[in-house]
Parts: sequence; C-alpha cells; structure tokens
Amino acid sequence: MKIVGIVGSNAEVSYNRQLLKFIKNHFHSLFELDLVEIKDVPMFNQSNDQTYSEPVQRIHRKITNADGVIIATPEHNYTVPAALKSLIEWLSYKIHSLENKPVMIVGASYFNQGTSRAQVHLRQILNAPGVNGIVMPGNEFLLGNAKEAFDENGNLKDQGTVEFLKSCLEKFIRFINVVSVLEDKPAALLEDLHATGTIETTVEGVDMYAEDWLEQAAEKVNAVEGNTYVKLDRGLLTVDQINDFLRSMPMELTFVDSNNQFLYYNRTLPAEEMLASRTPGQVGNPLAKCHPEKVHKSVEWVIQQLRSGKTDSVRVHVPTHGPDKFVVHTYKAMYDQDGNYAGVNEYVLDLKPVIDWYLQQTGQKLVGNPDAVSGASVKGSSEGADTVSGASVKA
Amino acid sequence: MVKIIGLVGSNSDHSTNRMLLQFMQRHFADQAKINLLEIKDLPVFNKPEDKKIPEEVQIMAEKIEAADGVVISTPEYDHSVPAALLNALHWLSYGIHPFVDKPVMITGASYGRLGTSRAQAHLRQVLEAPELKARVMPGSGFLLSYSLQAFDEGNNLKDREEVKKLEKMFTDFLSFVEICKQLNKAYAMNKKEVENFS
Repeated sequence: MKIVGIVGSNAEVSYNRQLLKFIKNHFHSLFELDLVEIKDVPMFNQSNDQTYSEPVQRIHRKITNADGVIIATPEHNYTVPAALKSLIEWLSYKIHSLENKPVMIVGASYFNQGTSRAQVHLRQILNAPGVNGIVMPGNEFLLGNAKEAFDENGNLKDQGTVEFLKSCLEKFIRFINVVSVLEDKPAALLEDLHATGTIETTVEGVDMYAEDWLEQAAEKVNAVEGNTYVKLDRGLLTVDQINDFLRSMPMELTFVDSNNQFLYYNRTLPAEEMLASRTPGQVGNPLAKCHPEKVHKSVEWVIQQLRSGKTDSVRVHVPTHGPDKFVVHTYKAMYDQDGNYAGVNEYVLDLKPVIDWYLQQTGQKLVGNPDAVSGASVKGSSEGADTVSGASVKA
Repeated sequence: MVKIIGLVGSNSDHSTNRMLLQFMQRHFADQAKINLLEIKDLPVFNKPEDKKIPEEVQIMAEKIEAADGVVISTPEYDHSVPAALLNALHWLSYGIHPFVDKPVMITGASYGRLGTSRAQAHLRQVLEAPELKARVMPGSGFLLSYSLQAFDEGNNLKDREEVKKLEKMFTDFLSFVEICKQLNKAYAMNKKEVENFS
C-alpha cells in the first residue's frame, strides 16, 4: 500500500516532519510512506494560476497515485498554517487531487494542545465540496509537547503513544479499504503486498521479516516434520517423502498465500544457481519485501488478475537468461476446496530442453514465422516481465 | 475622526471583498476614515528562525497599531479563511502583536448563498489565538451573498436592506470601538503575556 505523507509545515525545523519520518521508518511493514514537502508551493492566488507549476503538479501526481494521504499539521493561531492551506487551495481549484481520497490527520505541537484546533479546522476544510477528501473519523493523533517527545534518534519515546499511533494507522489501512468499497473502485489498487492482514492460516506473533521466521513459526504451531505421516488428497506420505517429491519437480516452485505472504519454495539449488533465486531467510516475508519497490505495481497487477478470477494463470517469458534457455514464469492461481482464491503457485521452468527433446523425438525443425506473435507477446506481457525479472534479480 | 483599517482578505485582482470595503470607505466617509490594506505579495510565512519580519509586514503592523479598529473582509475558500489572509495574520503575530485588544469587525462576501459564514467562524477563532488576541465584535458578522450581483455600475451595494444592515452594524462597531477604549485595564498585561508567549 502506498501512502503520501504531507509535511504540513514549511519551516526548517518541524516536529510534524519528524513525526512523519518516524511513522515512515517505524511502520514500514504496514505501508510505504512517501514524504511530501510543501515549501516550494507558491501562495494560492486566483489571479495568478499556478495549478500547472512543477511543485503543485508533483504533489498532485503523488497523491493521485497513492492509496491514501496522511497530513501532519502544525497549528498557527488556532488553525492550519497558511502554507498548508495554500496547497489545499491549489489542489481544489482547477484540479481535485484529494477527491475521494482517504485522509488521516495527525499533528504535533510545542504545547499540550497538540494541534487540537487546527485538526478540527483541517477536517472541515477537507470536507469542502472542492476538496472532498474522505477523512477518517475519530482516531485523533495529537502529539503535544513535541520538543520532549522524541529521543536523539528521532523515535517517539513513550511506548503508549507508539502503540496508540500504531492502532490509528492500522485502522487507517482498513479505512482505505472501506473507502474503496464506498467508491466502487476497481480492486486492483488494493493489493496489500505488505501482508498486513491475516487469514486463517497466518501464524500470528512471529515477525514476517525475521530470517528465522520458519523456525519460529514452526515451533509456534508445533509443525510436524521428518517421518510423520500426512494424509493427502490422495495418498499417504511422510513429510520427508513430500519434501523428496517436491524437490524432484522439474521446476522451481513457490507458494504465496492469499494474504500475499511468501510461505514456501522447493529448495533444490543454492540461490545463485536458481532461475529465480530464493534464499532460505526469505520464507515468511511479505511479497513487498521480496520485490524491489519499482515493480510493486506490476506484482499487484498480476495478483489482482488471479484473485479477481480474470484469469487463472499469468505466464511471462524472462529473456535475461540468454539464448540457450527459454525461461517462463507461470503464476497460477490456487483455490481451496470451496473454490476460494488461496494464493499463487509460481513455477519457473526452462522450456528449451523440453522443446529440443520434442524436436529430436519427432524429427521436426523449427521454422521462423514472420507473422508470429512473438514480438507482440513480448510486448503484451512486458508488464509481467518486469515483475519477474525484478523478483529474480533482487531475490 | 475614528481611524479604521479595512483589511482586504483576498489577494485576487478581482475581489468583491475589496469592493465591499471600498463601498464602506465611501459610504461611511463622514463617520470614519477607512484606509484599505492589501495582503498581496507577502512572502509565504515559514516561521523563520531569526524571527525577521518582512518590511511590508512591519509597515502594515504600524498602521494597524495606529488605528482605532480593523474591519476584515474575508472570502471563503474550502470552507475556511483563504491561505493568503492566514498568511498575513501569521506574519502579523510573529514576534509583533498589533492586534492585541484591537476592536475588529468581520465582513465577508461570497459568490454563493452562504456569504462566507464558515470562513467567518474560523476567522473569529483565529483572531482569539494568544498571539493575535483581538477583540472581535460579538454577534454575527456581515455576510454578503451572491456578491457578483450585489453591486451596481457605480460599485455601490444595490440592496437597500443590505445597506441598512451594514449601516447599523458599522455604527455598532464604532460604539464597540469606544467601549473597548474603556476596557484598558488589562491591556499592558495582555501585551506582556503575548510577548512572553512565543
């Protein structure tokens, strides 16, 4: 999930900036927070329209592409700072960047009011018809006495405050999802690569980012291993036998559950020898951690295709392995017994040996076809290709 | 004669709030000397560490300081006070305090029906903030709705009823200015408190 954090102050020293930085660093497992500064935004003036100036447009683009916005407002004279109000005026004059956008308000102040009055004004401002942001009710986060609130590393000192902030932010993520239902938006924007939710099988209380997630999680659920029998549909195998069986598969297999958590791969080779490398410590990670940020939108797109049922597999050729291989990643939707989406089975396979064997067995040859769709298909799947290449390069 | 500052709350070249203040300036010429102050072209307030105030703000502050009262005419942008007016008020309360105990009357003109009612409510709260601490005349301010149609070709308010209302309110304001002069016991203390605040 992508959130824009607007620093409501244009001053050089700002506790609101510090608060947003803390949220960005401390809650990175909940969402990506992109901090936006307002100091280059000109004063709003109807007679000198600068809607299309670079500073305004840059912020407009970021907000448009974000799933939600957090505004951190100081309080000047019982209200919001002119600089922040000016930005909102630009964003509601010729363009309407905040329209139907989920918004959360936070604020930090020197004294004990913690911007209580400014927040009420900001709420009313965001409700105005030209602005039309959808502000999360309740969950007011007011940070008073901000000078004393942070330690030398910029972290909030008081644990209770951090816990309350966390609960507000988690509610905001759910609020974003509620708003999307309200707006009847395509679900494509909502793929939560950070796996902040839980499903029935999620092992709670273990850090998904931990290198030894597997060991911790296995202990927590008393997972069976070794020569314990497991009854399957249809057969009876020990855990060892299942492992032998999966390792012998002629392809690299990856299991991602419907919560976008990476749970399993058939470890047959060291990471650097795999077609799409995976490392043991990655098991348990949310998908966001497995991919560089620039391909997140593509990953979201692939999963949405599968989750929404538009298709049950997305297939992508990854050309980075040279002419001797034809490596294809197939993302196949998995379904539980009731037919509900259960996650992705990604299998990575080099088709070249299969094709060579086929040609040899049948005595046939490949003939180039000038009308072939290879060009078109490469182009058509370029979005997916980014996804995979990113994953395999980084992972 | 009573000296009143008319603070134009808009930085737009075409402003019915400016027109309203200009009308008041002419219409009440025999009761008060109203000088208009513009907020255009002030730099964006950014809480400079050195507390340095732009010269044009300093001049504005001196004029307000010297006046018996201030009429602020505010547009309404996004249900609140325009950024440009907030900006002027930020500057005018940053280490300087010309508004302390100053009698203020709020007016506002809007293109629509509500006549800046919400902006006026916000402005009232803003003017009560510790570093402004103005004496805003109680009771509702003057709301001019459908302001684009409100003036004739001589730039005078067309509606006789509206003019009457404005006349009564302004007369009250002049009385309010007089009353405020008697409320002077706490002035020195207020001024001192405000200076200590920041």
